[in-house]
Order: sequence, then C-alpha cells, then structure tokens
Amino acid sequence: MAASMKSCSLVNTFRGCEQSASHMLTKKRPLPWSVLSLLSRRAAHLARQQYDVIVVGGGHAGTEAAAAAARVGAETLLVTQKIQTIGALSCNPSLGGVGKGQLVKEVDALDGLCGRAGDWAGIHFTILNRKKGPAVWGPRAQLDRQRYREFIQSELLSTPRLTVLEGSVEELLVTEPNPEEPGHHRVTGIRLANRSQPITASSVVLTTGTFLSGALFMGQTMSPGGRFGDAPSSAGLSHTLRERLGLRTGRLRTGTPPRIVKDSVDLCQAELHLPDTHPTPFSFLNKHTRCKPEEQLPCHLTTTTPGVERVVKESLHLNCHIQQDTKGPRYCPSIESRVLRFPGRSHQVWLEPEGLTSDLLYPQGLSMTMPPDMQLRLIREIPALRRAEIHTPGYGVQYDFVCPTQLSPALQVKNTQGLFLAGQINGTTGYEEAAAQGLWAGVNAAHWALSLPPVALSRTESYIGVLIDDLVCRGVTEPYRMFTSRAEFRTSLRPDNADLRLTLKGSEEVGCVSSLRYREAVRVRDSLQDALAALHALTLSTNKWRNKLPGLQMSENKNTLVTAGELLQYNHVSFEMLASVFPESLSPYAEFSQRLKIEAVYKPYCDMQKKEIERIQREENMSLPQDLDYFSLPVSLSQEVREILDRVRPSTLGSATRLQGITPAAVVNLLRYVHATNAGLKGRTHTNQPERKEERDEERCARNASLPQ
Amino acid sequence: MFPFVCRGIMRAAIHTRRIRGTLPGRLLSSCDGVPAGLADADTIFALSSGHGRCGVAVVRVSGPASATALRCMAGLTRSSLPPPRKALLRCITDAKGKEVLDRGLVLWFPAPHSFTGEDSVEFHIHGGTAVITAVLQALGSVPGMRPAEAGEFTRRAFQAGKLGLTEVEGLGDLIHAETEAQRRQALRQMSGDLGRLYQNWSHKLKRCLAHVEAFIDFSEDELIEDGVLNQVDTSVCHLQAEMERHLKDERKGERLRSGVQVVIAGATNAGKSSLLNTLCQRPAAIVSPMAGTTRDIVETALDIGGFPVLLSDTAGLRDSPDVVEREGVRRARERVEQADLTLVVVDCAHLLTDAQQAVDVLQTHLMCVLSSQEQPETDRCLLVLNKSDLLPECERQKLDREMRRVSGLPPVCLISCHTNDGLQDFLTVLHSSVKTLCGDPLSGAPTLTQARHRAHLQQCVAALAQYKRHRDTDLALAAEGVRLALTSLGRITGRVAAEEILDIIFKDFCIGK
Repeated sequence: MAASMKSCSLVNTFRGCEQSASHMLTKKRPLPWSVLSLLSRRAAHLARQQYDVIVVGGGHAGTEAAAAAARVGAETLLVTQKIQTIGALSCNPSLGGVGKGQLVKEVDALDGLCGRAGDWAGIHFTILNRKKGPAVWGPRAQLDRQRYREFIQSELLSTPRLTVLEGSVEELLVTEPNPEEPGHHRVTGIRLANRSQPITASSVVLTTGTFLSGALFMGQTMSPGGRFGDAPSSAGLSHTLRERLGLRTGRLRTGTPPRIVKDSVDLCQAELHLPDTHPTPFSFLNKHTRCKPEEQLPCHLTTTTPGVERVVKESLHLNCHIQQDTKGPRYCPSIESRVLRFPGRSHQVWLEPEGLTSDLLYPQGLSMTMPPDMQLRLIREIPALRRAEIHTPGYGVQYDFVCPTQLSPALQVKNTQGLFLAGQINGTTGYEEAAAQGLWAGVNAAHWALSLPPVALSRTESYIGVLIDDLVCRGVTEPYRMFTSRAEFRTSLRPDNADLRLTLKGSEEVGCVSSLRYREAVRVRDSLQDALAALHALTLSTNKWRNKLPGLQMSENKNTLVTAGELLQYNHVSFEMLASVFPESLSPYAEFSQRLKIEAVYKPYCDMQKKEIERIQREENMSLPQDLDYFSLPVSLSQEVREILDRVRPSTLGSATRLQGITPAAVVNLLRYVHATNAGLKGRTHTNQPERKEERDEERCARNASLPQ
Repeated sequence: MFPFVCRGIMRAAIHTRRIRGTLPGRLLSSCDGVPAGLADADTIFALSSGHGRCGVAVVRVSGPASATALRCMAGLTRSSLPPPRKALLRCITDAKGKEVLDRGLVLWFPAPHSFTGEDSVEFHIHGGTAVITAVLQALGSVPGMRPAEAGEFTRRAFQAGKLGLTEVEGLGDLIHAETEAQRRQALRQMSGDLGRLYQNWSHKLKRCLAHVEAFIDFSEDELIEDGVLNQVDTSVCHLQAEMERHLKDERKGERLRSGVQVVIAGATNAGKSSLLNTLCQRPAAIVSPMAGTTRDIVETALDIGGFPVLLSDTAGLRDSPDVVEREGVRRARERVEQADLTLVVVDCAHLLTDAQQAVDVLQTHLMCVLSSQEQPETDRCLLVLNKSDLLPECERQKLDREMRRVSGLPPVCLISCHTNDGLQDFLTVLHSSVKTLCGDPLSGAPTLTQARHRAHLQQCVAALAQYKRHRDTDLALAAEGVRLALTSLGRITGRVAAEEILDIIFKDFCIGK
C-alpha cells in the first residue's frame, strides 16, 4: 500500500514536470500514464514464471542492467526488495566528477539512464578541472534525491519488456552446464522468499550492492543489513555463490556520513561555492538541464579543526568498524581514517544540498561510524556546525564481494553460464562505476539469453573498458574507483567524444541504443567530419590570416600557407573567429564549435596513440580458450606463469600481456593457443592457423633470401 | 612539424570509422599474409649479425620507412630503388648523405616478399664497432625509425603470417633468450653509474607524473597545495636540461665496457685470485694463504684468442661476521648474477676420491655459487679444480680420468695455478666458451644498446618539451608528455605501471572524497 501511494504522488509530480521540460530530448515515454495501468501492468506480470533475464537489485547497477537488457530485446524482470527505493542515492547526493563523469557520459552514449537522470535531477552543475584540458574535464552535479528516484522509476516502469517485482531472493537456481559452452554450472533462475514457484530465466544479473552478507556498524553495535532502514538480504544467495558455485569472496567496507538538519547550520561560516552559470547536461540528447541556471543551489566548503581529531581519538575504543581490518578505500575514507593517517592537518568538508525541497545537508568528507552522541560532539567541533543537529547518524557497512578475476570481460561468472555480476559485488565503489558495469552486464545477459555473441569493450575505446579490464584482469584489493590516470589513452577517451566512440558501436554491434539516439550520433559524426574537411579546405597565407584576424599571434615569420584547421590548434584561436572570416562555409557548424576546437587540438596526440591502440586491439582480438589446461600445455612456460594463467584465465592475449608476472616469451608461446574471435559468431571459431596457399617460387625465393636471425 | 601534424587530422578522422568497422577482421587478414594494421607501424632496425670480431656485419631494417632509409643512406634518388633482392655495392652515408660511413652492399626487399612481410632493407657493412655504431646512429636519425625491441623482427614475421605455428615455439625461446641476455645486460648497466643515473631520473619522473595526476584527479575537491605543479615544473626543467647535457656529452668514460663478462667465483682460499693472476700473467690481485684475502672486485681486461674478455675476481663466498667481507660477498654474488660466464674455482683437495661423491659435492657447490642467478645456468659456467699440485700424482690422474667421464656437470678442468699444470687445456676450454658466447648474437651488444638508449632518451627529452608546451593550457596533454617521457625511460630501466603512480599519489596526499 505504501508503495502505491508513493507511485501515486510520483505520477503527479511527473505529469507536472513533463510540460515544463518539454525541450528535453528524453526518450518518448507513454505519458501521462496512470497508477491503474502501472498496477495492472505489474499484476499482469505476476503470473509470469519465465523471463530471458532476471536482474536482482534496484540500485545503480541493477537499474542500468535491467533497462539495458530490455533495450537489447530481452524479456526482463527486475527484482528488488522495495520498489520505492529503486534509484535511491544511498550515499552522496551527486553524480559524476573527474573520471566518474567520463563513465556517466559513456553510459549515456550507450543509451543508459544515469546521464539523463542526472540532467533531470541535478540542482548544481559544475565542470570540474575546467582549466586542465578537455580530456580531464569532470562533469558533475549535485542531485535532488527525490527527483533522481522519480526519473529512474518512471523510466523503468515505462520501458517495454521490463517488469519490476517486489521481493526478496531466497535462492539462485543452478544446474548442469550446457556442454557446448565453457563453464561448470548453468543458472536457471531464482526462488523468492514468499513464493514457492521458482522464476526461470536464461540469465541472472546479481547487483546486490552492500547487501551480500552486509553488516551495519555504528559505535559498538553491529546489525545485519546493507543499508540503514532496509531489511537484510537472505543468506541463501551468499551461500549459493560460495558453496555451490565455489566462488572466492572477500570483504570490503564503506561508510556514510550523518545527515544534518540544514536550519541548524551556520552557512555564513563556510565558504560559498556557486555552480556553473550555464549548466552543462550529461546527456548527449539534452541541450539543457531541467533545473534552470538561476534555480541551482550552492554548495559550501568548511574544514575540520583540531577538536575533530580529538573526538576521533577519544572515541576509538567505542568504534568497532575502525578497529576491524577489513579493506577500506584509500580514497573516500572515513573521517576517522583521515585523521589517523594524516594527523595534525585540517581536512575539507563539503556541505551539499540534498534536494530543492529537502531540509537536510550532506557533509561530504565526514563519513563516520562512532556512536551517535560522539558523532554530534564531533560535528560541533566545526565552527559552521557548532549548533548543528543530526537527522540520521552516519554508519559503516561491511559486505562481501566476489573476486572479480572470476569474471569474463562480459562480466559473466566464468564457471557459471548465464550468471552476471555488476556493481559493488565486484569490489567497486561509486554510483558511476556501478552504473557502467550494470549496463554492460545487462547487455551481455541479454545477449546470452538471446543466443547472441558476447560483446566486449576495449580499454582502448572507453573508460568502461578500462574499468572492466582492470577488474577482471587484476582484481581488487580495495574498493575500486575510477580515476582518469587509470586510462592510458586518456587523450583519446574524452567526455566530449563518448558518443562517437560508443553510440555507433552500441547500435550496430550491441543493439542497446534507440534509433533516435543513433540518428543523432550519426548526424553529429557526419557534421564533425564535414566541418573538419571544410576547415582543412580553407587555406590562406599567414599574412592574409593576420589581416583577417588582427589579434592573431603566430610564431612563424615566414609567409606560408596555413589551413583553418591548423590555425584552430592555436590556443587563442576559436572556431567562432574562423567562422567570422568564412561565414558561408563554417557557420553551419556553429553548434559544434567547442567539439571542433577540442578535436583540432587533440587530434595529433590521438594519432600518436593510435599505433599503441591498434597493437592492443590486435591482441585483444586473439582470444584464449577458457577451458585451456595451462598446467599441461606442452610449451615452455614456467610453473609460476602457469599458475598465474590458471588463476586468472585471461580471455584474450591482450589481457594476458597485462598480467603481472607474465613474460614476453610466455605471451609468444601462448600465441599457439589463440583463437581469432569473430563478432558475428558465438563462442570459438577456428584456430589461428595461417593457412598458407601454395607458395609461388618467387615467394619462396624471397623468404630464403632473407632468413630469420 | 606543424603542417605534418595537421595533415594527419583528416586521415585520422576517416580512420576512426575504419577501426570500428573492421575490428574483428584484423587477425583473419593477418592469416592471409597481408600485414594488416602494421602498415603504419614504426620502422625498426637492428644489427642482425653476431657481435665480436667479424668481417661483415648485417644491419636489418623493416617497416614503411625502409625505402626512405635506403634512399638517404645509399645515395639513391627517388626513381632508382635497386631491383628487389639484388645486392648492390654503394657508399653508405649518414642520413643527410654528407659523410661517407662505409662502402658496402645494400639489399632491398619490398613487401610482402621479405622475412617480416614488410618493406625491408639490409646493409652489409664492415664489422668494426665504429662503422656499426655510425650506421646504427644514422638509421636512428631517419624519421620514423627506432631500434628494434627483443625479438621484434621475428614477431612481425609471425604477425604477417610469415612463420608457421611450428616456428612459434622457437620464437618464444628466442625471445626468452634475448630478454634474458638483455636482462643480464640491464642488470649490469643498472649497477653502474649510468644505471643509477637513469634510475634516478625515472624515480623523479614518476613523482612528477604522480603529482600532476593527483592535481588532475583530486585537486578540485581536495587540499592539494597549488605549489605541487610548480615543483613539477622545476623538476621537469632540471631533468630536461640534465638529459640534454647527457646526450651531448657522450660520456666516453662511462660507456659500457664491451667484451664477455667472465667472473671467477667460489669458496674462500680456493685460489681464485691466483687464477686471475695466472691468466693475466701479472700479480693483479693480492694472493695469500689466508682465507678471505680478496674483498672487493678485481677487474682486468684480457684478450683470449682474439676475443675481448673482462675478467673479475671476487671475494670468496662464505658467511662472515666482518662487515667489509660481507659486502665483498654481496658484490661477488651480484657479479655472478650479471656474468656471461662464471669460472667456479674449487680446491681439489676438498674432493673425495670417490667419483660419484665428488660429482655430488661439485653439484651442490655449483648451485651454492650460482644461487644468485635467477635460474642457475650451468651451461654458462666452467668448473676449475685448482691446486692439483697438492694431490699425489696417482690421485690426480684418477680424478682427471673420472672428471672426463662424468656427466651432469659443466666442463671441468684440473689445473694448478702454482705449477701451471693443466693451464693449456683450460685455456682451450675457456677459449671455446668465449668464442661461443661472442658468436652468440645475444651476448653483450654495446653499440646496439647505446643506440637504443640514445633513441629512448631523445624521445624522453622531446616528451618533456610537450609538458612545458601544454603546462598552462591543457594539463591533460602536459601529463601525457610526462607519461611518454616515463615510458621512454622505462624502456631502459623497466616498465612503470599505473598502479605505481596511484601508490605515490596516496602516499603523498590525503585524498578524502
């Protein structure tokens, strides 16, 4: 009942909003839709016992997975404990940032939800790193929690082929594997706690977040659960993964700060930080954000005092989360670990709005797990929070994750056909990391169910590829977070060109992109190419350029011919300046002025990276059979190398080369067992046997003339 | 440089589409013998013939710029590339065609009819070190050319479908051998002043990169002092200047010593220093009946049957409470690790007359002496049983007979440094070992290594210029410069992984968000 009440208010909100935001190019929703149709739709599907894909969990990974699977064409079921918490922002009310923003852009380029949801719910937009170059710009927004949830819920509930069901998963159903595919088990569906009948599916995506054997910590108390206020998930799932499937798991910890009552905070004592005057949307489909520039809310910055350090030290004996040595992140640490690791310093605390109408503030940087009375004492050591009241105390969470080296690049558990994992269960942290994996796991779960070949994203073409490659090849020792420095090809993988990198592939090879978005991406690509061609066709002598553009500073003294494209590489030359000289040929492309400028500046550097990218892609196109017995391979490999290969089971030669301890010689010996993958065929194809036609005399003579050393 | 870069833009725009379209087909096409995807690869060059004394040396070039190199260096005009696969006698000049380096044969192998499947050129030149060095340096100055990595010719040949799968096994072994030889050489260099210099640069660059990366990934939300980048600026400036100076001044004194590295090792008082003195026919090392006389490394250059040898005498291996001696033992083990050939000296009085037991004792001893090598290589060592004069004649003859019979040991020589008995036989064995090593193209290749270092250092300096160029306008491109510099240097000192940079970031800064 509570859920339907919620849905009711949700619908109304939406109807109102849709009008005012009609300029937003969101996917066409069957609006206005009614509570009745929502309920009947859910009821209609309750009878159904069979799906292509079941997604367990309704967080950032689960929602992207379910939506992506449905977009690909799979009949999909999303199971979550409470429909009203679908799309909830469990921790910080923000999206994007440096590195993470790239992930949001890429998820959007593959037609995922979080970019558009961010544009819908954002109330404070900034581009971080604005002065440091477009490759590392970090689009970021503070979000209105309520609006974010609304968007995600309405989007899911209106996605064709997608059913949402409230329930708690009791058991993962597993059976004998399909002998034609690698793996020791095959997933067949799930059993819910309150239903005796199982629900069957070809693929299951688990996105359990912090709920897998989750435990909440506050002070000296510990209670089972993955999020405050939500029931713990059943132990059955954890048991199946470990005992039945034999998966190696580890334990990680995270935490969240107390929420503070806004009225009790003296914001005058904190430094005001305003958003960008012109909000930049995350989504390639949106020209504007829903929030008008002037409606945006500010953030505030303050710092910790020596008093904070004192309270932390005094409360240590009451803080069992900090004393346990489960792996926590070096980034996003609790205030306790920051103070202990870097004593005698003041640390930043951001006071972030939780929503347009919310009366709470989120103190970013004050994640803590001490008893509530100590939490209050601690925050009151900060001048701006001297009279602050805590609405909900902070707490810590410890949870199980599955060592991600047991996954394939499609995020499928290698030993279990049809079982996919995404999000914190793979040892990552952050909404964006979860969303990116969710989307990719959902796509591959759908591909598996529909007997389509698995799809992979290379680390040379996307941050999502970097994320997945790092996870499945290297595993995690602490919660994994994306940084731009993890991407070797950062100059090529920019937030501005995510659509060119991924949308076309997403449509042609993956099938997860709507035709609307595909058409838009094609238009953008063609326009950019035409514009670049036009820029390079416009040639003037340096003297003439100087005449036309009086402010132009060119180092060359000689009078040579320079194209407009070359000129655009200069720092102070903008596309608009060039368009003013050649309005007839360049003004049609005015909407792309910023992208063209970035393309012009970065192209030489991207070209330099191209060779390395091609080498890696060549190696990634050589797949290693998953059932290879590395211990009995009749080639000269050291025992150590065999053990590494057997443990990690790299799926391609490319990922094998990136493993620690693998020698170049081992890679070459592995070449023997490499298979050429072909995107058109599922599974393995013929071996890499260079079938040589009969050599003509000339050829033989050529080979003999130049013998190998 | 500028117009060249811009022309690339159009090509790349078209190329981006091509990559996505044909991605999965790449390997298949390589099976047809067409080196797809390699078309615009670097052009590589290397000395392909053996090192040491030889009449003719062969320098091989492979890749798209081969024809350019041939034209520049063999004085050929655009129209007259020599007929394919026919030897042509030419004056070989530097890349500008100004200075004549040598007179030799050139051969032109247009793609795909070459060993690698790419355009290839071979220069057959005179085998002197000066000529080889000059030609390699000239090749390095042709645009688009770089020294080949270990096994790269063979790998390219494989990728072009020019090698069958049966040959791959051999390729793996070859690369293993090459990397082993390079590893040994790198170890050798790394322990010298030059190595310390490069390591130091690499360390500084790593910190620079970590600090720039920290500034990029964290500064917006964190307390990362603004001064961080200024420190990086200073470091980069210093490094660049230092490297440029280093490249100009050839540092002749620090040049790698060429020659086979032969190390004398064994227990104390076995007569190692006596062996050194006997071999160089002068009292280069102090000898005494006291165990542990030699503490430091004593080096001497020798000519063994025409081959250059650098002979090192080392401290006797034993556990010692003496700090100086312990250091000597450490140095000895280090030297053994870097050796091309180890002479394990044993006092034959310690051997029992029972042949089988003697073999066991020797094997154990050998493993103990060579334990510092990553994989003890008994085929790169000789066993020298010294002090044969102290054995009664009948015992000596029996031992000699037994040692000739046994298997499972490296070559064994019974000698006396005191009477020079057995020395001639030993010299013959030593000569043949050194000859094998010198004929082995993998052992110490100083000229090649120097050319490689030079090329990588030049790339490193150029990349640092990229940092300075973009420092104020685009930190991502500036960081890319430092990253490229580190990669270039890493090709000399060893690779640097992204995780290492993150480790520095987290050690140096308190990252909170």
